[in-house]
Amino acid sequence: MHISEGILSAPVLVAGAGLTATAVGYGLKKMAYKQMPKVAILSSVFFVASLIHVPIGPSSVHLILNGIIGLLLGWAAFPAILVALVFQAILFQFGGLTTLGVNTFNMAFPAIICFYLFSRGIKGKNNFFALTLAFICGFFSVLLSGIMVATALVFSGEMFIQVAKLILIAHLPVMILEGVLTVFCVGFLRKVRPEILDLDA
Amino acid sequence: MKGRLFLILIFLFLIIIVINIPIFAHKVNIFTYIEGNKVYTESYFNDGKKCVSSKIEIFDNQGNKLLEGLTDQEGNFSFEIPQEEGDLKIVLTASMGHRAECIIRADELRNTTGLVKENLEEPISSKETTEKDKISPTEIIGGIGYIFGIFGIIAYFLSRKTGG
Repeated sequence: MHISEGILSAPVLVAGAGLTATAVGYGLKKMAYKQMPKVAILSSVFFVASLIHVPIGPSSVHLILNGIIGLLLGWAAFPAILVALVFQAILFQFGGLTTLGVNTFNMAFPAIICFYLFSRGIKGKNNFFALTLAFICGFFSVLLSGIMVATALVFSGEMFIQVAKLILIAHLPVMILEGVLTVFCVGFLRKVRPEILDLDA
Repeated sequence: MKGRLFLILIFLFLIIIVINIPIFAHKVNIFTYIEGNKVYTESYFNDGKKCVSSKIEIFDNQGNKLLEGLTDQEGNFSFEIPQEEGDLKIVLTASMGHRAECIIRADELRNTTGLVKENLEEPISSKETTEKDKISPTEIIGGIGYIFGIFGIIAYFLSRKTGG
């Protein structure tokens, strides 16, 4: 879902860059020294995830993993995803440098939403309930990103319903796969290192 | 703390290995060649999927749009070489915010128009927008290294500020 250069209109680019800059600043302020290694690892996970191509469905799609990143990082997801996207743009020519703001916001904002919606629930006592929430988190983060990408594209003249339908259909396999991956991650962390899920924004 | 991170790292690498990365970039390519008095374009995603009914626009060197059309089921689109002088810019806009462009230089266009038939059998000129399709492992490892480095620097400054 990287938006390439030269597609979006200037106001969308500026708005995306502004929102991202603000959120990254806030994320950096919130980020504790102790958290650094975790942020670095999850940033590289995001960086690599987009190379994992999901060969199901009508279009070219890849893993995003912003749900689990949001759960584990909270607001630090913004700097983590920004850094990863910079290197994807430079090294792989995914997206582009001018669309960096918009792309970061499209990926990281759903991560924050997921953090606020689900981070408390997945720490709960009931294992089944927690894992169900983890699935919804993985699924929902991609869904929300898709809707946001469609919204950004609307301002460059594409029809919202049409684009949104296209993106969401193409990403349905990714949503399900990310839901399952998030379940595994959360299940594993709950058993082995439950402390890591404890995060106060 | 150390053991915890190590476990995450191993777990995520396992996921990646299990899924077995086909290393393809996530972008679109447009490939053009000239045959007779027509320009042919082929559009595809990097994993080889064709861009079906994607918009192709042709601009002259002043940036004026000359014509536009949609690719067919095979991701192909062809058009007659326009009368305008100068370079042609071909812009492909595929679904979901993907875009690629390539430029056909004027001399390539003129050299091939009205040429004798013997040359028409094979593509006379071809060009790709991006020089490399596949991503090398070096870039992936390098990128991960850069990311760790950047957060290392941030951690260094944070540690000076907090004194530990």
